[in-house]
Amino acid sequence: MVAGRHAPRGVQGVRMGIRHWGAALLAGAMAAWTPAGAQTLTLAVAAAPTSVDPHYHNLGPNNALAMHIFGALVDTDAAAKPRPGLALSWRAVDDTTWEFKLRPGVTFHDGAAFTAEDVAYTIARVPTVKNSPGSFLLFTRSITGVQVVDPLTVRMTTRGVTPLLPVDLTQVHILPKGLGAEPATEDFNALKHANGAGPFRITAWRASDRAELARNDAYWGPKPHWERVVYRMIPNDSARTSALLAGDVDLIEAVPTQDLVKLRTDKRVAMAEAVSLRVAYLMLDLSRKDGQPFVQGPNGETLTTNPFQDVRVRRALSLAINRQLIVDRVMEGAAVPTGQFLAPGSFSYVADLEPPKQDLVEARRLLAEAGYPNGFRITLHGPNDRYVNDEKIIQAVGQMWSRAGIQTKVEAITWPSFIGRASKQEFSAFFAAWGITSGEASNPLRAMVATFDAQKGTGSANRSRYSNAALDAVIDRASSITDDAARERALIEATRQAMADVALITLYQQKNIWGMKPNLRYVARADEATRAADVSVAP
Amino acid sequence: MSATSHDAAPMPPKQETPFRRFVSEYSESPVAVASFVLVVLIVSIALLAPFISPQNPYDLAQLDIMDGRQPPGSKSLEGLTFWLGTDDQGRDMLSGIMYGLRISLGVGAGSAVIACVIGTALGLIAAFAGGKTDTGIMRLVDLQLSFPAILVALMILAFLGKGVMNVMLALVIVEWARFARTARSAALVEARREYMEAAQCLALPKWRLVFRHMLPNCMPPIIVIFTILVARSITLEATLSFLGLGVPITEPSLGLLIANGYQYMLSGKYWISFYPGIALLVTIMAINLVGDQMRDVLNPRLKR
Repeated sequence: MVAGRHAPRGVQGVRMGIRHWGAALLAGAMAAWTPAGAQTLTLAVAAAPTSVDPHYHNLGPNNALAMHIFGALVDTDAAAKPRPGLALSWRAVDDTTWEFKLRPGVTFHDGAAFTAEDVAYTIARVPTVKNSPGSFLLFTRSITGVQVVDPLTVRMTTRGVTPLLPVDLTQVHILPKGLGAEPATEDFNALKHANGAGPFRITAWRASDRAELARNDAYWGPKPHWERVVYRMIPNDSARTSALLAGDVDLIEAVPTQDLVKLRTDKRVAMAEAVSLRVAYLMLDLSRKDGQPFVQGPNGETLTTNPFQDVRVRRALSLAINRQLIVDRVMEGAAVPTGQFLAPGSFSYVADLEPPKQDLVEARRLLAEAGYPNGFRITLHGPNDRYVNDEKIIQAVGQMWSRAGIQTKVEAITWPSFIGRASKQEFSAFFAAWGITSGEASNPLRAMVATFDAQKGTGSANRSRYSNAALDAVIDRASSITDDAARERALIEATRQAMADVALITLYQQKNIWGMKPNLRYVARADEATRAADVSVAP
Repeated sequence: MSATSHDAAPMPPKQETPFRRFVSEYSESPVAVASFVLVVLIVSIALLAPFISPQNPYDLAQLDIMDGRQPPGSKSLEGLTFWLGTDDQGRDMLSGIMYGLRISLGVGAGSAVIACVIGTALGLIAAFAGGKTDTGIMRLVDLQLSFPAILVALMILAFLGKGVMNVMLALVIVEWARFARTARSAALVEARREYMEAAQCLALPKWRLVFRHMLPNCMPPIIVIFTILVARSITLEATLSFLGLGVPITEPSLGLLIANGYQYMLSGKYWISFYPGIALLVTIMAINLVGDQMRDVLNPRLKR
């Protein structure tokens, strides 16, 4: 028993000396010791990372795991605002050059010092990752050159004005150049290359099951409370909740909304929640001028016009929805009603833009004014396996539209089929949600409101094909201002115009909810990531 | 007492038709009779659902999310009583179960009938034609039966998409093989009987030999398989809907009702899953008991 308790310290000592041949063996020994450790945190995440390689797949679960092991130049705080990470400060030297001052005295897990060369190496490595299902090139594409000014200063030149480069770089984890040319993703998964500057080092990896982490005592930031972390992946909602209640895990993410009411009153569980950057919305097809595949007249007759081309119809459909009721009854309070992209407190939040209140009288009046006094028939589509309560939300919206005189049918289909059809404008109306990774309105405005243009890279998620040239100009101007205050003003103006024209119907922002043992505390994050370093023991 | 024995004794024995003999032998088991009554009751509820259910659970305009997840016995905003509670969309569970039975029984019985017709026809043809036709059909049956039914149904639905019609099609594809095999083995026995030789001597057309003379004599085992497969179809449909591949969400069958409530089990809202589950259990058990008794009665080897 005593020997067992002292084992890890011995292991740590040996590790320093004979790292090369002992690593696999030691990992095994440490894994076996895990349950006995007093400072072990077992947490359960809802979705499994697909790789340990931080540049392999741009996916929330992967990036969340990477935060433990690696670390980016720019970190984000719980509200998703940028804060110093491996870079201490940054500034725009001119319109197309950014300069980053790096944090001195940082070392990687293998003891190598962190310098500007590692930044250049990382930026060059991102495009070389093979078979990436979701490339990180998205974040580094605008970089045309990286200059190492001195070991702790690096300059990046960009193609055009790129005010969001520091925000983009929060997603790019830094690797040491000692990994050599083109390190293979498989070698990361085999833990050969899993060497970063993060608060933990990874000691075991079993895909779709668990990762095991050990504290990096040389970490530059605040020392995490936990010596060891068992990072389990439990995608099934009920199983995850049960594991927490049974005491198998200490903390779970994405607490299922149907269990919220019960867990909130359960003394065995403490909760932490934060409004997320994920906004749920409805889109109405505007790609057609004459008729709609899933809209008919009130008696089933074929329409020769597209009712959604009339802003009054779009506004009526928005006013028919009781957002508060959806939040209370379907989401169990795990969301906040909204009439814009971001939650209060975010950069470019429009303070005086209230979520629309349900007004059936006004909705009917607008419909009659637009020439649909008896409403119409519509089928609302949505996924049934992608977002929290997705198929329940569309049924609730269906109820509310039916009450406003729009006879609504709903159809929920699996995500791969749904997104394929939505992207081909096969639906008349659909429900989806959008994660605003940058934490400011330029991202949803450019992706969902700006006119679809593959070459320009705008409207990538504009599946309604909404197109408004005047608004495009406002968005273009707003997203190329480097000065934060001026950009925020311009983004607020663009958001206001987009919402007034009902480019899309935003419904609510989801909340991220964590459940944990009552003696633990977690700093709930807007970006859905579960960070073991942010879990502490209650005083 | 004496009157009955007095009356019964001199009564001339009723004319023994196969049907009467079947009824009297079937009625020997009180459990089987009770099950039969239950099946009749369940079928009538399913047929009459639109007239007797308190609410149309498939009409979104009649549902109010404010009534969601109410426990059994609570009242709606409009004064309707939810005897079995409501689900998350404010759907009355009692109405939901009545309409759900309609879909479950409709899909189960419908697919079994179609599978029965197709399977029996192919089985008879195989038995009568023999040779390459027989080998062809029966290898297809073997192939079909070598895959688990649920796997085949899942693949078909993944390919075709959701919908009541697609579920029925999947169930027919899964089940015809059993009818074909049963019909063929029964027909092979019948083909050597004297009445068939006699019919052949009359040079009757082949279709008449098969369908008028052979088929009626092959019916007993097919009827037994039919009742068992109806119950199995209902279970399969419930499984598929539970997995989210069956019927659409706004028109839930029993399996989908159970799936909707299953997420709330940990929260103590048992009624959303529990009552549809009971309804499914009772339905399948009753049909199976009826099927079992039929097998006992119709199987000549079990004759006393």
